[in-house]
Amino acid sequence: MKHGNGSRLARIATVARKELVDMFRDHRSMLVVLVTAVAAGPLLLLLVLNLIASQLDRSRELTLPVAGIEHAPALAAFLLRQQVAIVPAPVDYERKLRDGDLDVVVEVDKDFAGDAAAGRAAKLRLLYDRSRDRARPAIEQADALLHAFAREWGQGRLLLRGVAPEVVSPLQIEARDFATPQSSGALVLGLLAYYALFAALMGAMAAALDGTAGERERGSLEPLLTTPTTPIELAIGKWFALCALDALVVAVTLGGFYLTLRFAPLPPVGIPFLFGLRQYAAFMAILAPVVLFSTAVLLYVGLRGRSVKEAQANLSVLLFAASMLPVAQMFMRRKDPEWLLSVPIAGQYALLARVLRGDALFFHEWLQALVVPALLALVALWLTARLLSKESVLAGR
Amino acid sequence: MIVVDNLVKGFGRHGEVHAVDHVSFTAPDGEITGLLGPNGAGKTTLLRMLATLVVPDAGRASVAGHDVVRERFDVRRRIGVLSDARGIYPRLTTRENIRYYGALHGLSGPSLESRVAALIDALGIADLADRRTQGFSQGERMKVAIARALVHDPDTILLDEPTNGLDIMSTRALRAMLRGLRDAGKCLLFSSHVMQEVTALCDRIVILHRGRIVAEGTAAELLARAGEASMEDAFVRLLGSGEGLVA
Repeated sequence: MKHGNGSRLARIATVARKELVDMFRDHRSMLVVLVTAVAAGPLLLLLVLNLIASQLDRSRELTLPVAGIEHAPALAAFLLRQQVAIVPAPVDYERKLRDGDLDVVVEVDKDFAGDAAAGRAAKLRLLYDRSRDRARPAIEQADALLHAFAREWGQGRLLLRGVAPEVVSPLQIEARDFATPQSSGALVLGLLAYYALFAALMGAMAAALDGTAGERERGSLEPLLTTPTTPIELAIGKWFALCALDALVVAVTLGGFYLTLRFAPLPPVGIPFLFGLRQYAAFMAILAPVVLFSTAVLLYVGLRGRSVKEAQANLSVLLFAASMLPVAQMFMRRKDPEWLLSVPIAGQYALLARVLRGDALFFHEWLQALVVPALLALVALWLTARLLSKESVLAGR
Repeated sequence: MIVVDNLVKGFGRHGEVHAVDHVSFTAPDGEITGLLGPNGAGKTTLLRMLATLVVPDAGRASVAGHDVVRERFDVRRRIGVLSDARGIYPRLTTRENIRYYGALHGLSGPSLESRVAALIDALGIADLADRRTQGFSQGERMKVAIARALVHDPDTILLDEPTNGLDIMSTRALRAMLRGLRDAGKCLLFSSHVMQEVTALCDRIVILHRGRIVAEGTAAELLARAGEASMEDAFVRLLGSGEGLVA
């Protein structure tokens, strides 16, 4: 089909240009994008890093409150050798544990020395509140210290009786941790991947709603459809504009992360961050299919709404489902199956996580993760164009 | 020229509500044809079919020789439409709103700019030209919508209740403008539920009621047919009831 008076491409460009001008003048929506995508991400990252740093500090220099240390001089000597600072537990330590003012307290039984001398098991009590995440490293360290003390003591007794320690510990367990420095930091950076994905999904939402349901609501769609612009030209023009905006949001969000990790006064967490320009480029490449796909779907779902409010309700269901995918993956213990790469969003999340672990990104994997989102984008565009040529789309408000 | 031949359009699940029921008429070039009818008579649906927004269930219609269904994009290039919904973009200026439609019609460069400037001048909205349309009054928005509909200098102009919301001065200015377009040989089709409006402006009047044409002719012919002295009485008589005025 050929239309005189200007080409298809010129009309698509006209629509895209108008949409871009229109969306950048929508200051309120732009501010929301800026705050949610651009500012909140780096801020969250800094918070998490500081939390980790404070936990590391806590576990490095353990001061252990002990009640009744005078009953167990051997334990005191052991702890001092382990460079643990012993402080007498405050009188109201149970309340302080409950309130979270103390992480852990060791209570020495007053019959400790007597039981030990008589060859009975001596009693120690470890008091803590495990529901508090921040206390966990301290609890685990205190627990490990007490067990080490018990082991050393037992081995001493066996040696006195002429028994080799191997008799009671027939297993020698050597642990080798294959976590590279990057992969141990990947937990924090999983957050980064999730946030980047979120930005790609949400970045164009306000603009998409305004350009679809908003256009119906304010009655500007009907006159637009009396111009020689075909429905598919309208759909593609609007889609281009949304893609450009969404890509910009993703680029700025990742830029925020890059600058934060590079220049912000980060706490000395000891995780070598692998988010340099290479990773930045890889992230953009991985997220490109999400940009193409999410904007096309936003366009279609948005246009189905007679008002922005109605479209928003429909979209929130969709976005909830989409944002739950990576969360489900986070809890999946096993290795990702091969086909997962083909699933939109899930595939991209897997690839992002891989880049953050410091693994190579292969072109064929990227291509595999592109196919389904690209096809879905085309389907959504076709559906949008079809909807634009239906009479029902004229019903607004 | 607009030729409407036995157009039918129904709504509802099986099209049982006849919005437009076997309507035929012709609107020649160089004349203003008025579609007069009470609310719900089918005026908007009829105009939407001519504007290629709605596909008829039966019958045919052509605009400047092009079928509104099979050649809808040829029709769209030749029509200027002030539709029932006339939303403009609040974050664009008056000039940008008009320019957008000009560009969609294939205009560009100096010819587009001079055309936009001429329309802004003709509608007397020079002081609004570079202001964003957010917060414009209903009359101001209407003028922007009219300029937008005329930006590509169409031969056929469809106007759905164009004087709604305009004050008396703006209405007179609009009438003068539409007469000017008629004198330039354009074909104008104009819908209204206001009799004075139609008699003041239209060369030919088509009265629609419940989707059917109940009378057709010049104002004088209609008056003679109804045997009434005023157009208002003629209108009521031709509708066969007073309901059109109450609705």
